Amino acid sequence: MSVRPITTIKTVVAGIEGAGAGIKVFTLADPDRWALPPFKPGAHIDLHLPNGLVRTYSLCNEPADNSRYVIAVKREADGRGGSRALHDEVGIGDVIGVSLPRGGLEPGADIARHVFVAGGIGVTPFLSMARHLLQIGNADFVLHLIVREEVPLAAHLAPLMEAGRVVVHRTSCAGRPDLASLVGEVGVQTMVACCGPEGMTEEFEGVTAAWPAANVHIERFVAPPPVIDPDAKPFVLSLARTGTEIPVRAGQTMLAALQEGGIDVSTSCCGGICGACKVGWIEGKPVHRDRVLSPYERERFLMICVAGSDADRLVLDL
Amino acid sequence: MLDEIGAGSADSTARLGWTGLVRFLHLAPRAFLPMRAMEQLVLVAGQGIEGDRYMIGREEGYYSHKPEEGRQVTLFELETLIALKRDAGIELGPEEHRRNVTVEGVPLNHLVGRRFWLGETLLEATRLSIPCRHIEEITGKAIFDPLINRSGLNCRILQGGIVRVGDTVRNAA
Ligand code: FES
Repeated sequence: MSVRPITTIKTVVAGIEGAGAGIKVFTLADPDRWALPPFKPGAHIDLHLPNGLVRTYSLCNEPADNSRYVIAVKREADGRGGSRALHDEVGIGDVIGVSLPRGGLEPGADIARHVFVAGGIGVTPFLSMARHLLQIGNADFVLHLIVREEVPLAAHLAPLMEAGRVVVHRTSCAGRPDLASLVGEVGVQTMVACCGPEGMTEEFEGVTAAWPAANVHIERFVAPPPVIDPDAKPFVLSLARTGTEIPVRAGQTMLAALQEGGIDVSTSCCGGICGACKVGWIEGKPVHRDRVLSPYERERFLMICVAGSDADRLVLDL
Repeated sequence: MLDEIGAGSADSTARLGWTGLVRFLHLAPRAFLPMRAMEQLVLVAGQGIEGDRYMIGREEGYYSHKPEEGRQVTLFELETLIALKRDAGIELGPEEHRRNVTVEGVPLNHLVGRRFWLGETLLEATRLSIPCRHIEEITGKAIFDPLINRSGLNCRILQGGIVRVGDTVRNAA
């Protein structure tokens, strides 16, 4: 029996194929080929790699294809290790835990035209989006793919190429294209999106500065930090019985911080109503957000799944 | 006082009476996976539902690290789905609440501690289910608050068998 809560979706590597330009395409599926949790076009998932790294990758398959998560990974020899682990260590049949899919774009009803600008492997978030648009018969979209020489994921791009939706810009022969001309005139019914290396996304940000924010989407290789409540402050949990100090990041729950610190705490609803995670507190200024404790109980206890702290330090009876 | 008037006794529940129907059946083999609609479920006494994540010995559910004998099968009221739509404008499907059996005409909240027949199987209700934040993450819908106090019923299987959509649910008192 597992003692730790299950926090990821269990998948097995069902396929690995080379896709040119140092890229491998990994297909992840449920061990029994059960349907996987749904996702939006352009969504991404975290992979919890066997070596302990957690890395985020865009899903390349169409949302309608719900039995697989397909990701494309370029081996970055000098990267932070995620792509090397996937390329060099992961094989067919290996078990990989993944997060629920996040992000992505539902094509808006009032958007008539989509312009995607991708640099190299930055094409991955647009694959599912463009194929989704093609599938639902959306007439007006184009994918500008900027590459040095070799087109990545050619097999995956083939249906889009055949439909005449991809414009390939080879910098080795034509130099870098002018992003402003690719993006074109500001249009409230146009959605423009970019994914690529830092320099490209910065330039794109510049050329779309006058656009309405809702019509511009930039996807970065490094996921932006999660949006947190601007008033949230970090604090330290001090565990009186063991003397352990656990830092809680701004916007993080005490529960998540304790679990990260390897401390086993019992929980159930994770929403402050069941009482399973009740813990005594000794010193500090807890912010109670539960709906079970009476004012009297709150002087001694708190619910770690929802409570916060108004002071830098909170001492718990743990 | 409640004792004196015999409230909620097996006797009064039987006398007041109700019969309900099994409307939907669902299971999922592992945590986070979408629930799949089934025409029938096989309930194993003292164990759980064949193929479901909480089947004893399988332990692949979100709560499996906290084993609980009384969570062998879980039920949910169709009336709650209707009320969510009517009162909160939330469209929640029977595959989204993550309980196994959606029943109609069964006062689940009244059954804690009681036995009842679900088709040919005999269940004992152990406690009310509580909603869980995790369901908002899975469904992307803000349903935690609206589900408080009507989030279904956890049961132990006393007598196993096959439960089919359309089966009758009735008191065993
Ligand atoms: S887990 Fe239920 S109140 Fe914290």
